[in-house]
Amino acid sequence: MRFLSLTSICWFSGVLSTFASEGGGHHALPLNAQRLSEVLPISNSMIMVWLAVALIVWFCQAATRKMAMVPAGFQNFAEWAIESLYDFLSGLMGDHLAKRTFWFFGSIFFFILVSNYLGLIPGVGTVGWNVTEHGHHQFVPFLRGANADINMAAAMAFSFAALWFYWALTENNLKGFLAHIFAPKGTFKGLMFMVMVPVFLFVGVLEIISIAIRPVALTFRLFGNIYGGEQTLESLMALIPTGLQPFLSWLPALPFYFMELLVGFVQALVFTLLCAIFLKLICDHGEEEHH
Amino acid sequence: MSFHGACDILFLVLEIFPDMITLLATAAENPGLLESIQKTFGLNTPFFIAQVVNFILVIIVLKKFAFGPVGAILEQRKTRIAEGEEKLKRIERQLAESEATTAAAIAKANDEAVRLVNEAKDGAHAFTEQKSQEAIAQAQQILAKAEAAAKADRDRLASELKREFGRLVAVTTSQVTGKILTAEDQKRINEDALAKVEG
Repeated sequence: MRFLSLTSICWFSGVLSTFASEGGGHHALPLNAQRLSEVLPISNSMIMVWLAVALIVWFCQAATRKMAMVPAGFQNFAEWAIESLYDFLSGLMGDHLAKRTFWFFGSIFFFILVSNYLGLIPGVGTVGWNVTEHGHHQFVPFLRGANADINMAAAMAFSFAALWFYWALTENNLKGFLAHIFAPKGTFKGLMFMVMVPVFLFVGVLEIISIAIRPVALTFRLFGNIYGGEQTLESLMALIPTGLQPFLSWLPALPFYFMELLVGFVQALVFTLLCAIFLKLICDHGEEEHH
Repeated sequence: MSFHGACDILFLVLEIFPDMITLLATAAENPGLLESIQKTFGLNTPFFIAQVVNFILVIIVLKKFAFGPVGAILEQRKTRIAEGEEKLKRIERQLAESEATTAAAIAKANDEAVRLVNEAKDGAHAFTEQKSQEAIAQAQQILAKAEAAAKADRDRLASELKREFGRLVAVTTSQVTGKILTAEDQKRINEDALAKVEG
């Protein structure tokens, strides 16, 4: 109840201050990551990727330094997290596929999760400098959420696409892979078979288009949700009148931080889940085994 | 798949197909669309490749430092649990076998004990009987000996008494008669006196 009251107050104060802050200097988070080096392809989102990697390495080191048969502390937490995800994927894809691909899906999930949460740290996306290019003023943040950069989301999605092909071919072989896409599903005889062959050939073409679109969809889903979340938080902070911004700009965004914590987890799970389902669909031998 | 299922697929294809055609046609009509999307979202090849490298780095790091050791310990624990379960089953089996063996041994020991007790009882009974007989025989021997000894004492005392009695009779007779008795007189008087006493 207290939380709802606080949220309502924040909303009202935000709405009221919208009118007050019109014409104020609100720095919108740019859509693209900014290059930090003229020589090397280093962007402000890459710094966050490295920070996420450093954090993950530190945590893993702490968790696995003194491995014991009876776990405690960090080891306990790490085992719980990894085992829970493994069991979840195992239930979804089967033990064979989960065992074979967990290094990828585990990495995807934990990296997206850590990156999303690091992107919520105050200062990420909001502390930076202004540059003027061709008469346009642009705000450049020092740090940018790793998944708020489309290149990172695309890197993960297209890496998965490449691995998806590899796993699909090794699990099915080329003939099985093509049959999975183009062959009629079910048992047809005579005239019905003749009718169904062109239909399923056409369905196969659509399936190929769908497969080609998957990494693009994965990319924009993750990027859109994370960028949108960060943009929402910034916009809400800008609702406070300019004079009060140093003291109260955090207030309207506060309830949405909780939502962004949820979104960060859900997006990590959705990306992992969709990748796992795509792989399961192409490697599914359920019908053949059933026969 | 039934005929209805096939019709559903056909319907879906016919439903989706125009949308896809429209999408592809739009992309074909706007050759700069892809470039525009790339420019708007900042999608460029060097950053993309750098992020792929970063992602590979993440995978290597996680595989080496997290999934490897944690997976190994989880596998080790799983093996130990399976071994523990197996051991538990073996112990339960052994316990059941041991209980059966113990019960059989107890039953056997019980039978043996009953047999031994019965044997001991029989032995004790025979021994008691034997000892009783021996004691009776010994008592009879002792009694016989005692009777023989008593008889000998009585005979000895009787002969001494006779002798003393004869001497007293002879002394008394000699003193009464004032006559010195011969050996023959003494013998005759003793015999008379004894005959009268014993008679």
